[in-house]
Amino acid sequence: MSRRHVVLLLPMLILVAAMGLKTAVTSNGTLIAAAPVMNGPDPAPKPWNGPDPAPKPWNGPDPAPKPW
Amino acid sequence: MPGSASYAILFLGTLLEALVVVCAIRRKVLRRYFVLNLYMILCLVVSWGRHYVLARDGFDSLNYRYFYFYTDALLTIVLYFSLISLYLSVFEEMKVGRYLRLGALALLAGTSWFTYAVVSQSSHKILTYFAFELSQNLYFVGLILTYVLWAAVLKMRQTPAILIQLVLSLGVYFSFFAACYALANLHPTLYSQISVLIPVVGCLLPLSWAYAFWRVPNEVRLSPARLAMAVSR
Repeated sequence: MSRRHVVLLLPMLILVAAMGLKTAVTSNGTLIAAAPVMNGPDPAPKPWNGPDPAPKPWNGPDPAPKPW
Repeated sequence: MPGSASYAILFLGTLLEALVVVCAIRRKVLRRYFVLNLYMILCLVVSWGRHYVLARDGFDSLNYRYFYFYTDALLTIVLYFSLISLYLSVFEEMKVGRYLRLGALALLAGTSWFTYAVVSQSSHKILTYFAFELSQNLYFVGLILTYVLWAAVLKMRQTPAILIQLVLSLGVYFSFFAACYALANLHPTLYSQISVLIPVVGCLLPLSWAYAFWRVPNEVRLSPARLAMAVSR
């Protein structure tokens, strides 16, 4: 295997391992971003948790259809 | 608003970050470990910026939140390159710098692509979540990279003691982050306690690096494999 192949293969392996570890760690989590952030000693605000606001179901003034 | 203890930790951390750069200049290793020092200088600037936004807009404001998470993504990317610079130092004699740089860029591009692929499907605030998720993902990539580097250091005959100290401190730092991440996800109720602990650990990395630049002689080389064997006996 040439060095170029190793240069491409190793980052992929590391990425898979890192994301696998992250998935294993968060597998029990129910929140989107229940994760601390830690660069420096500044007080960390709470991340955005919970679902995004739901989009409006219809655009414009047309009457909504009745459900079946 | 954060209490006086938080402000004391913030002040201490900022002081330690400045101390790292001062020690590096004093020991004349600023150029040799330039990216590490760049990270500390950026931490200093960002700390000042965060403090400014915090004092102006308050802890719960959106401004502080956005500023915090965007600057965190920036700092994480610089931390990633600091780690790569440690790789370059460790493998300096093997003349593989070009391949390491290529691999590092490929890994960063891969992580960014993966993050975008995940975020674009789950959120409408793509840029905000992208910055946040990229930061998280790069932490885990950094964790794996640090352990790989430590394994390589253990296999090598001799490594400068200062490099060993820098790599081990990063290993502890990333491991603590992963532990916090796991704990926060397993027990979301513990988040408030963890968020108190995080700034304290944020101070330990600059403290350890400052110690390495200040006290560990540059020319001393150690063989970690022998040390590990001696400890196991």
